[in-house]
This record gives sequence, structure tokens and C-alpha cells, in this order.
Amino acid sequence: MLRRAFLQTFRQGLAQSFFKRYAVSLTETTVTHQPIETSDEAGEKSVPTQKTGDESGNTVVVAPPEFRFIYPEFLPDPAMERRNRLREKLERMDMLQRRSVIEIPEFYTGSIMAVTVADANSPNKFAKFVGICIQRGGSGLRAWFILRNVVDKQGVEILYEMYCPLIQKIEVLRLERRLDESLLYLRDALPEYSTFPMDMEPERRLNNSVVPINPLKVKLRPRPWLERWERQNLQGVEDLNLPQRFYDRAEKVAKPWEKYDLMLHYRKTIPAEEQEKIFAEVHSQLQQQELKRKLRRRRGSDNEY
Amino acid sequence: MVFHKRRWLVRRLFFNHEQIRTMSRVKRRTTHPPYWHVLKNNQRTDEKISSDNLRFVQEVIQDKYKNKSPIKGSDLDIEKTEWDPKTKRSGVIARNIGVQHMWEKDGKKVICTVLHVLDNHVIRYVPPEEYAKSVIGAKMFKNRKPLGCLVVGAEASNPERFTRQYCSLFDEVGLLPKKRLARFIVTPNAALPPCTPLTAGHFVIGQAVDVYGKTIDYGFQGVVKRWGFKGGPASHGTTKFHRRGGTIGTGRDKARVWPGQKMPGHMGSERRFNRGLKIVRINMKYNIIYVKGTVPGPTNSIVQIFDTALPRRKFTEAPPHPTYFPPEDGTLPQEDIWDSSLHVFGSPSISV
Repeated sequence: MLRRAFLQTFRQGLAQSFFKRYAVSLTETTVTHQPIETSDEAGEKSVPTQKTGDESGNTVVVAPPEFRFIYPEFLPDPAMERRNRLREKLERMDMLQRRSVIEIPEFYTGSIMAVTVADANSPNKFAKFVGICIQRGGSGLRAWFILRNVVDKQGVEILYEMYCPLIQKIEVLRLERRLDESLLYLRDALPEYSTFPMDMEPERRLNNSVVPINPLKVKLRPRPWLERWERQNLQGVEDLNLPQRFYDRAEKVAKPWEKYDLMLHYRKTIPAEEQEKIFAEVHSQLQQQELKRKLRRRRGSDNEY
Repeated sequence: MVFHKRRWLVRRLFFNHEQIRTMSRVKRRTTHPPYWHVLKNNQRTDEKISSDNLRFVQEVIQDKYKNKSPIKGSDLDIEKTEWDPKTKRSGVIARNIGVQHMWEKDGKKVICTVLHVLDNHVIRYVPPEEYAKSVIGAKMFKNRKPLGCLVVGAEASNPERFTRQYCSLFDEVGLLPKKRLARFIVTPNAALPPCTPLTAGHFVIGQAVDVYGKTIDYGFQGVVKRWGFKGGPASHGTTKFHRRGGTIGTGRDKARVWPGQKMPGHMGSERRFNRGLKIVRINMKYNIIYVKGTVPGPTNSIVQIFDTALPRRKFTEAPPHPTYFPPEDGTLPQEDIWDSSLHVFGSPSISV
């Protein structure tokens, strides 16, 4: 009974955290220099471990439901033909090993990040790239993300594999979300929307419990475009101002029944029960790693004084 | 003109029509096992037996296959044989559980197939003279010196699924019947007594292995996917000629369709060996081998792993001969062994 009770909590928690994370807060987009509130402290406050007891009195540790958004690459590829529980478990162990060496922070599409990579052809052997994350995907050790920036009026996109050992440091300069999950339309947008200074400093966040959503509406360049943006229900794009025939054709081509297709969505996702198991498995190690990093940071700041 | 997109077909740009003619008549697949195999799977439908009788059946099974303690090297009476470069060791039955990406020490990405060595046990050893009298043995050693054969089984399962004749194959050893059996050709000095377990430790890091598997079954496929034909134009007025084969003969030379003409048909589910794959990581705790490259067959299919037949990648030093046994003094072997070329995940990031 209690087991079912905490299952409910996880799923309710999923829904609640989903809405919380998508809370549009206009005031939080402004950046002010506030006294440092380390994300780990806030993380502890906002992301509590839910410990419920079962009938025998043993505590069952359940990972907080936010893990699904912070660590989406721990969930395996849902295609059933290629799934194997043992291999997924071994892959997760390797992922945790890599995470113990380097900090892979929480980020979303729309966050501005800086990645330092070991590069033999660079003068000082390390190459740093700053950009906005326009897409992320992959599962397990194959997880990747694409950073975009405009350098010397030339748009540059780099795909980084999150667990590649050549990566020295991944830093999130501005943690925020946008109105869309994929920002590929920035390729057809005016260049100022993709330009970020290479020497950008990390910004301090006001409120660490909620990831702000930037409700920015991007202006696109005139056609031709790389994709038919009018067919994609983009929220983060200004009015496209296309002739009506484009929208008519988009309606004809659209598949409005897909949102009712339960099996399609089932096949594209990992069931909640499995997600619980997976995150419960990795939760304690991830927490330990966070604590160690926090201690190291505190010791580092103490040594400064 | 036919353009072969797949790499392994590039070699065959110049057709040897003789060879194609003779090979096209060879039957490559059957849906039934050879006639000398015993019937394996239980053909009976669910009988209505009472719960008491069911419990009795399960008690009988339990009594018959009582739990055995793990076998130590000293228990088995293995003759101390010397390894020499001409020794052929046993192979191992494993399951291909998928693919994992790893990185080398210079940062280069490497695709590694993860092979899970199942619970292999030697069922029996067939000495060379006896094996040469069997159907396959006679063909194999027609004009050669015969070698022995080790019958190895993997994946123990419930005896109720199988027929009595199939379970009787395992009676001598007293093991639960295995789902999969395989035969490995071995030299007599690499013979193993029945009930010997084979684990991932049977192999050495850095060695080359050959992996045998049945390729992915694509079913009945058209000529574009099966043979890499280009088909026809997608538009410009083409009527019903997008993925067809086109002409199948000249009309003059031989005045008939040549045997071996490439046409639609069943594709896949064929025996293939991927040779010379390097072992880059062994996990002794979970009995897992990571092999550099890919292996024939879909994920979760059974494959067989052998020491390589490629002459320049064979062993120079003695491997665990005839197989690996955990050390007698109870010390646990190193759980995760990595090849020196791979970057270990827990170690610091690579700086070139």
C-alpha cells in the first residue's frame, strides 16, 4: 500500500515538477549580482529525497522526480529491439564513473554554455567554445548536445558528446529554458539571436529552485529557410507573415491525431516504474558526487581567505 | 550496370560466373535442425494436471538437479597439458547484448560490442577418432588429421520446456538442460572434463577473436536493399519503375537467365564470422567481454566466440590453458580489466 502511495507521489511529483519548471517568470530573466547562493544548497532545499517506509520499516529511497529533466541521458533508448537491462546498467556505471571526474551540470536547450576541449591543434592545447544549446539528444554514453554561436559573422555549431574524455570542462553560463525543445530555427533567425561573447562570465541566478523560461520570440530572416517552420508549431518565433497558402498546406499536412495516439507515446518513452528504478539506482552516487564537489568548493573558498 | 554500395561487395565487381552458378545452388538456410538431432522443444499442449501432481513434478525436478557447489580447478581431474601454438582451445557461447561507445587514449571514439558470456558448461568431450566417424566430422577431416570436439551448453532452463530425449543429453553431467548447445573443435590437449564452467576469463585482454553469428533476418527483400541496385528515377514521368531490377539478361549470350541472377528474395539469417575482433575490456563480475567492432546478428542474439583463426593475430604467449579457473587461494580476480589502449572512465580527462 505504501509502495503504491509513493509511486503516486513520484508520478504526481513528475506532473508538479513539470509545471513548476515551466513557470514563466518574467522578473527572473533580469540578471543582478546577488550574494552567492550555491546551486547545491538550493538544490538540497528544492530537491529533497523522498524517503518513505514500507511495511517492514525499511526506508526505500526514491530519487526526486526532477531527475528526469536534469539527467535525461540516464534513461535508455526506448526502442524495444535494442534494449537490454544488463548492458544499460553497465553503461550507467560507466557514466557515473565519468561524472565522478568531471562535473556535467544541469542544462536545457536555450542555456548558454562554455565547453573546454583538449585540442592538439590549439596553441595552448585547449579550445574553449561558448554557445547556446540548440538541441540535445542521445542516451547513455552517446548523449550529445549542440552549441551554436556566431563568430566573425559566421554561424558555427559544434556537437559535443557529453561523456567524451577529451572534454575538460562544461560550464553553464546562463541556465534557462526557451519556449521550444529544439532551437534549430536560430539558423534561419537574425544573427543577433545566436551571438554570444566568447569571454562571457557565468551569471548568478536569483532563484535557484526554478529554472526560468525565456519567453523570447525570435525574428526570422526572409525566406528561403532551411525547414518549413510554419509546419512545426514553434512557440519561440515571431509571426512568420507568410501567405495564407502556406498555412493551408500546413493544415492539410498536419497529423492532429498523433496527440491521441497512446501507443505512439508509450513506444517513445520509458514507463514511469522503470524510470523510478533507474534513478533510484543512480541517485545515491550522484548525491555523493554533488556533496564532494560542494565540499571541494567550500574548501577552495576557505583557502582564499 | 549494377553499383554495389555495400563494402563487402566491392571485391566482386568482376563476376566469376562459374562460382556464382555453383554457389547459387547451395542451400543456405533451413528452418529445421539436422536429422541426427533429437527433438528439442516440448510438443505437448498444456495438460490439465492437478496442483498436487504439479508440485510432485517440481519436487522430482528439484531432486534430480540438486544444487551443485561451484567447481574448483582441483576438483576436476584435468591432466596437466602444455600449451603449444598449434593448440585449438574451446570457444564460448555468449549473447550479444548491444553496443557501447568507448574512447581510446588519444580521444578517438571506438564502437565496442558488449558480449555477455552465459553460464557455459562443458557437456561432453568427443575424442578425435569417434568424431571423425560422425557426419560433420567425416566431411571436415576427410584428408586431414582428426581433432576432438567439445560439446558446450549455455543458458540453463526449466526441464519442463524440453522433451525427455533432449534432457537425457544432460543426464550424464547432471546439469539442468541448456537452451543452446554448440560444438567447438579442439585439439586433444585442450580437452575439458564434463561440467567444467567456461567464463569470460577464458579470454585474454588484447587477443583477437572470431565471432560467429546468424545475421539479422530482413525477410523477403527487394533488389534495392538486397543487392544494392539503384532502381529507377523517382520522378520525371517514370511509370512503375522505382525499385525494380530492370533487365535480367542480354537475350543473346546463352539465351537464358544465368543461375545466380540477382533477384528479390530472402535476405539475412545467414551464418557469418567476423574475424580478428580485438577484446578491449573484460568484466569478470558480470562475465562480460567488450569487443572492438561489430558482431553478426541483432541485439540479444546468441553468438559463439573463438580464438582467432587469422594467422598473424594468433597467440604468441600461452593463454589460460585449457581454460580459466579462479585462483585456489580464494583471492578474487580483478573485476574490470581494461586494454592499455582504452581510456578508463574513472581516470582524469585526456589532455593531448
